Amino acid sequence: MADAALPVETDRIVITADGGGTGLGLGELVRYRDLLVVLAYRDYRVRYAQTFLGLMWAFLQPAATLLIFSVVFGRAVGIDTGAVPYPLFAASGMAVWSYFAYVLGQSGTSIIGAQEMIKKIYFPRLVIPLSKAVVGFVDFGITSLLILGMMLYYRILPSPHFAFLPLFALAGILAALAVGIWMSALTIRFRDFQHVVPFLVQVGLYATPVAYPASLVTEAVPRWAAVVYYLNPMAGITEGFRWAILGTAPPGALSFLSVGVTFVLLVGGLYYFKSVERTMADLV
Amino acid sequence: MTTIPEAAIRVEGLSKRYAIGRAVHGSFREQLAELLHLGAAKRVEDFWALRDVSFQVPRGEALGIVGRNGAGKSTLLKLLSRITYPTSGRIEICGRVASLLEVGTGFHPELTGRENIFLNGTILGMSRQEVRQRFDEIVDFSGVAQFLDTPVKRYSSGMYVRLAFSVAAHLEPEILIVDEVLAVGDAEFQAKCLGKMDSVAREGRTVLLVSHNLGALRSLCTTGILLDRGRLVTQDTMGRCIEAYAGIKNRYADTAIVDRTDRTGTGEVVFTDVAMVSGTSPDGIQASGSDFVLEFELHKKTPEPNRRVLVWFQVMRDEEVFFTGNSELYGPLELSRPHHRVTCTIPRLPLFAGRYEVRIFLMVDGRRSDYLEHALAFQVDDAPFFPGGRTPTEKDGVLVDQIWLVE
Repeated sequence: MADAALPVETDRIVITADGGGTGLGLGELVRYRDLLVVLAYRDYRVRYAQTFLGLMWAFLQPAATLLIFSVVFGRAVGIDTGAVPYPLFAASGMAVWSYFAYVLGQSGTSIIGAQEMIKKIYFPRLVIPLSKAVVGFVDFGITSLLILGMMLYYRILPSPHFAFLPLFALAGILAALAVGIWMSALTIRFRDFQHVVPFLVQVGLYATPVAYPASLVTEAVPRWAAVVYYLNPMAGITEGFRWAILGTAPPGALSFLSVGVTFVLLVGGLYYFKSVERTMADLV
Repeated sequence: MTTIPEAAIRVEGLSKRYAIGRAVHGSFREQLAELLHLGAAKRVEDFWALRDVSFQVPRGEALGIVGRNGAGKSTLLKLLSRITYPTSGRIEICGRVASLLEVGTGFHPELTGRENIFLNGTILGMSRQEVRQRFDEIVDFSGVAQFLDTPVKRYSSGMYVRLAFSVAAHLEPEILIVDEVLAVGDAEFQAKCLGKMDSVAREGRTVLLVSHNLGALRSLCTTGILLDRGRLVTQDTMGRCIEAYAGIKNRYADTAIVDRTDRTGTGEVVFTDVAMVSGTSPDGIQASGSDFVLEFELHKKTPEPNRRVLVWFQVMRDEEVFFTGNSELYGPLELSRPHHRVTCTIPRLPLFAGRYEVRIFLMVDGRRSDYLEHALAFQVDDAPFFPGGRTPTEKDGVLVDQIWLVE
């Protein structure tokens, strides 16, 4: 019996006006994990459906950005990246940043985009922004391949801190989810956030040490401004990610601030999402 | 866990309120304005879609829900399906639920039939494993096997609906909640769906069904509930519920338009009367192919003139036959006096013999000002529509006037 595998608590549901207690209901997500996978697959398939270049786009976009960065910041500005060639330096930052930007951009409008489903059937709504984080893995994988290719080309070995890479990758995923969950819930309530998301992505690219080392900023500004700089969760995470791959400057004490902000945003986001979840069908 | 509860669904004092007359998705500016009491306060009206509804559905029973449009049927199903949540009251459901408020929820046009089966199946609450197990049955039932790897955007609407229903039909819940999904597909497929529903009900599963197809309700359901304007009128056998429902429909139809209370809208301009002045009124019989004239009496309650007023009406015969209004030809009306009479003539009424109903709508400045269902009923009698004297015998759709030329 396939049904026997389902947990027992789904067999009795009580629906009341004041909600289902204080829990986040994350356990239910486990039951809906297949939906998460299938929705991510759908997004992936639809994204490049009927495009001539297909998956090549996932490669071309970061490659083009990288080229511009290399010309402008690498050659023209001449940013000092130590022993690491500039293109590789920028690519390692791009990998985490473009994942973050993709997930943020997609999940911001994800609930509105799924309104037809939301008005017709029950499922934990969190599955929708979560599925965007899964689709982003495709881009993340492609930019990672790009980095690998460049490392082979420049004959650069991974840094000795390589073991920390999964940790910073995970932090990047959580940061993307944290902000994405906030935006998806806020956009339902206030459509203004549809305009906020592209703005965040645009500004964030320059407020994050993607094209330059964080020290360039932190050494030029007073201490309080450096603290503000690291309130951006991606600041510390991008630095850490690059350090783990290339052995550039290690993430400083302020990087923990970024990780802390990520954690606070994530937990806060989950609770905020939960509070909006029940009214989503009435609001969209 | 020692006692097995008798009722599969227990609903107690269930109410759902919606705020109308205000955009629900706010913007910061609106919220700020509200906080600071800037500008004129927007009128917010409460609308009770459901009011203090209580009933129980014993395990294994098939229950039909009837009521006019706006009676609260859909709201009730949405609450039972956890799509929206009650304002007050309580629902207790024992058993694994599947709710079908539409077929093909989540279907994506770019994906193939095969992919959509998995997508739709998991949305309906199946695991991929369960979909895989039932995959062949689903495909067989749908009859679209040879198009499985074609994107569904290339499907005909019939194929699309058949595939969508097939996925839904292979859910194996203990409680099935269904909204009007039987009204899809061709007659043959509908019969197949009804058969499936019937076997589901016979297997001892609990079924809740909303449908305007009273025949289907009568044959599938043993008991029913009747809702009217958000309240539960009766819970009884399905047959008696349908009788009571017919009673409600007639009661509204017998009341003069001006006294009707079952209307929705802002009420700035309202209908005070509507009459068919052609044919052999007062018995309201119209010959097919003769000129058809409807007369609307309007009352403007606000003093400002020059409102952009649209009068629409929808001619129904179970389903919509046609829908038209003054803006189609002339643009909005401008009303200056408190009372106006508006007349619409349809030359050579292209309807087959039968009984028709009219719904009437009034829009003022883009907002619904007045809306009434069952505003008028009329009978069309057979008459030779075409000069040749022969009248087609089909019972649905419309007669089409035409000119042929042979060269």
